Amino acid sequence: MEMVIVAPPTPGRLEDLRRRFFATPLQTLLSLISLAIMVFVVWKLLNWAIFSAVFTTSGGPEACQAAAGACWSVIAARWRIILFGLYPFEEQWRSALACIAVVVMTVLSCIPAFWTGRRIALVWGTGAGLYYVLMKGGVLGLPHVGEEAWGGLALTLFIFVTTCLIGFPLAICLALLRRSDLPWISRTTGLIIDGVRSLPLISILFTFAVVLPFALPQWMVGDKLYRVIFGSALFFSAYQAEIVRGGMQGVPKGQEEAAMALGMSYWQRIGRILLPQAMRNALPATINQFVISFKETSLVVIVGFFEILASGNAAYGTGEWRFAYVEVYAFIAMIYFVFVFSLSRYGAFLERRMSVGER
Amino acid sequence: MNSTQSPGAAVHIEDLDKYYGSFHALRKINLCVQRGEKVVVCGPSGSGKSTMIRCINRLEQHDGGRITVLGTELNDDVGNIDGIRREVGMVFQHFNLFPHMSVLENCMIAPMMVRKRPRAEAEATARGYLEKVRIPEQAMKFPGQLSGGQQQRVAIARALCMQPQLMLFDEPTSALDPEMIAEVLDVMVTLASEGMTMICVTHEMGFARRVADRVVFMDGGEIVEEAPPAEFFTSCRSERTRQFLSQVLGH
Amino acid sequence: MISLLRNQRVRNTLLQVLYVGSLSGLVLACVMIARRNLAEQGITSGFDFLFKSTGWDVNFSLLPATANDPYWWYFLIGIVNTLFLGTVGLMLATIVGTIVGLARTSSNELARLLGRTYVDIFRNIPLILQVFFWYAVITHLPTPRAAHEAFGMLLTSRGLYLPIPNVGRAALVAAVVAIIAAVALPAWLGRTSRLSQPIGERLGIQLTAAATALATAAVILAFGRLPDLPLLDFPALQGLNLKGGLRIPPEFSALAIAIAIYGGSYIAEIVRGGFKAVGKGQMEAALSLGLSPWRVFTLVRLPLALRAMLPILANQYVWLMKATTMGIAVGFTDFFMIVALTINHSGQTLEAIGILMTGFLGINLSLAAVFNRVNKAIALKGNQLRG
Ligand SMILES: Nc1ncnc2c1ncn2[C@@H]1O[C@H](COP(=O)(O)OP(=O)(O)O)[C@@H](O)[C@H]1O
Ligand SMILES: [Mg+2]
Repeated sequence: MEMVIVAPPTPGRLEDLRRRFFATPLQTLLSLISLAIMVFVVWKLLNWAIFSAVFTTSGGPEACQAAAGACWSVIAARWRIILFGLYPFEEQWRSALACIAVVVMTVLSCIPAFWTGRRIALVWGTGAGLYYVLMKGGVLGLPHVGEEAWGGLALTLFIFVTTCLIGFPLAICLALLRRSDLPWISRTTGLIIDGVRSLPLISILFTFAVVLPFALPQWMVGDKLYRVIFGSALFFSAYQAEIVRGGMQGVPKGQEEAAMALGMSYWQRIGRILLPQAMRNALPATINQFVISFKETSLVVIVGFFEILASGNAAYGTGEWRFAYVEVYAFIAMIYFVFVFSLSRYGAFLERRMSVGER
Repeated sequence: MNSTQSPGAAVHIEDLDKYYGSFHALRKINLCVQRGEKVVVCGPSGSGKSTMIRCINRLEQHDGGRITVLGTELNDDVGNIDGIRREVGMVFQHFNLFPHMSVLENCMIAPMMVRKRPRAEAEATARGYLEKVRIPEQAMKFPGQLSGGQQQRVAIARALCMQPQLMLFDEPTSALDPEMIAEVLDVMVTLASEGMTMICVTHEMGFARRVADRVVFMDGGEIVEEAPPAEFFTSCRSERTRQFLSQVLGH
Repeated sequence: MISLLRNQRVRNTLLQVLYVGSLSGLVLACVMIARRNLAEQGITSGFDFLFKSTGWDVNFSLLPATANDPYWWYFLIGIVNTLFLGTVGLMLATIVGTIVGLARTSSNELARLLGRTYVDIFRNIPLILQVFFWYAVITHLPTPRAAHEAFGMLLTSRGLYLPIPNVGRAALVAAVVAIIAAVALPAWLGRTSRLSQPIGERLGIQLTAAATALATAAVILAFGRLPDLPLLDFPALQGLNLKGGLRIPPEFSALAIAIAIYGGSYIAEIVRGGFKAVGKGQMEAALSLGLSPWRVFTLVRLPLALRAMLPILANQYVWLMKATTMGIAVGFTDFFMIVALTINHSGQTLEAIGILMTGFLGINLSLAAVFNRVNKAIALKGNQLRG
């Protein structure tokens, strides 16, 4: 006898679609609602942002205001103030180069080949140094530009980078102190960390910007920018310290004991055995903390800095562009989005890779 | 057996007491190990074997009594502790290799950092000892890529690279699959035959018979019995020892 | 001396004394310098200023406030404002987050895509930017003359105007409590009587409870109403301004909307994580018992997911509570802004900072305490798991 094997009919396109989106009445309803929302939002957005938008400055603000869609002319007219703030016009190329230096530095430090303490320090040291020389000038024939004139995206990046540069080593110190065997040291450090973590960042920034000058001797007061950066670094380090400590707890106790039995000193054990492993454990959470910290640099606007948000407010706040606030905020949001989204995607990628790689 | 003080002793423990909180983990331990001597320590789980040998290189701090290692007393002097740890090698139950370093680096790091040996010399020494534990070809691999037996042999090589005068083993084979135990024991037998002073916590009674000069039986934080292997296995005095031996040898 | 320094005990003691000593010395020195500097400006330290009147106004307050009120009253106003904004914000955020989170875990691809897009966009834009944006949107709304109108509500650049019952304050509070009870009572009854009663009977009890509570609310409103006025007070244009109704100022709405949207994107992820943590086995077991998908959801998936997400949710709520300090960016008089204004006007810097820290410590600790209780109450008991 011959058996005829009947293959199940391969579902056609329509059948496939039906199964995926209209299998049950509830599914159908969900699909329809989702589809309606999507079509509505996408259409509205496209219409506003592209089809009925004005892109050129030729017509001036009046023509722009009359248009039904977005008025991107405001960006074309004001992008320099948003990106560079009040930095002298002829020198703004330096500001742009400095931003690129920071971006290159960030990208480099995402490459595993640079993940040794020394190389990371080198990359970040070079990046920050390059930024500082370019922005501040006064050497190599670059005219001097004081910190008070820095602004826009350039200032945001500066605050972020210096926060991390100061905050990261500080976080490691705090984490080490907190796990110390000496009870008073670990308790006091715990108090500091938990205290800082219970406060909102704004209150710390405010304290460092406004209150600290009263409480320091004259010679220590320094520039407000650096005080605020220090406050933000302290806040960063309190959170990062707990992340690092979590990473250290993930390193088996035997590792340090083996190093001890080999006669290695405290600093050798920490530097060569504990930290390299702890930082690996803490990597995804650390990147997440960087992401959060980058978003939080925007808070310095409150203590009166001309970073990207303030320069955005200025870009539409004066004179003829007063109506174009949505476009300006959309532009700034886009800048933040590009940085934050790519960094957090990278973090998610690392996390996946590590959870697969580890056995 | 041998509790008179002698200047040549590698380890001399007198009236050692150790507490974990209120728990009395070691009670008045007395033990003397001569240079070149091989001592096997056995006893039921929780009897304080690990605690005792970890006191010898100060991984645990003792609360009473005196410990003298290689002529130096272990006390609060930080310099003494560092000096002793340099001269005493230790092998752990769970290997404790550094997973982020290659096998070769595992063996080189301590000589370079602690003994300040130049890299080339440290590497030569490390390769020499890897040869000796019969895994020279694994030098560039990472610990995670090796079998348990291979890892434990690397751990032995790592300790030997410091050229210690005394080796401590804390159940080096109890985390291994049966077929890997032999390869590690072989290395330890070779080491013993070369005259290394060794204190071994192990339940491998075959090894004890072949290598040990003395077998020490511990229970409840005390040394219950101490005898040369021939005597220990045939005519032990205490009931507890007999019971333990029947359990270990029975299977 | 050298040998003493090599002694471990001496070293440990010395290190601890040095560390704690230098830190407390630092703090002490700062306080001393600050006191001296402030004294030079003629500001006497101490908490006497709490009982002086402030001389400035707050733009938002749930409690009665005038410029003659003392500082301690203003601090209280600030804390109440912070808690109020925080509570409203996190309730809205929870609603948004639950909807988006459920969309993200649903079996429908389109809904998942929608939820994911929402989270990706709003998580990655700083909260304060969103606050600025909504504040700009609201303050660019038409003036009261050209207000958008819907259901008696007016949407203007001065804020949102809602109709409000013409009743006394006490009656209003009582009515609100009764309405909350009308919602909460059936839910609570549903929980306690769980499966012990047939569905129909339970529904009846729940409906009766809700109806009773609502009726109570209506009675309170009817008797508490102010004489000679219509029951509802509608906002209306008088001259250039709006009179009547309840005004929700733009500062508050901007903050609440931004916190709801931004916090919602975080809570959505927490909700998703919670549902992911529920094992497939438990759901399959429930389905194989013949329970309907809805009951599997309410009886198995939801309770288990809630337990998994609660600790993370607690952290998020604390964060949102602290985020209310962004009020100062748009001029909402939350606790932090009151502190900042106090420092500006009275110069009592150290005291105000101390009050600020104590206040937030208190808020954090009490939130943590509440969540710990809830967590303990709903934690799976050991025998429940087995039995
Ligand atoms: N870090 C510690 N804290 C408290 N108790 C401990 C600690 N380490 C060991 N102990 C206790 O001391 C006793 C001896 O432990 P150990 O020396 O590890 O036993 P063995 O190695 O013989 O199995 C055990 O009862 C154990 O529970
Ligand atoms: Mg043991």
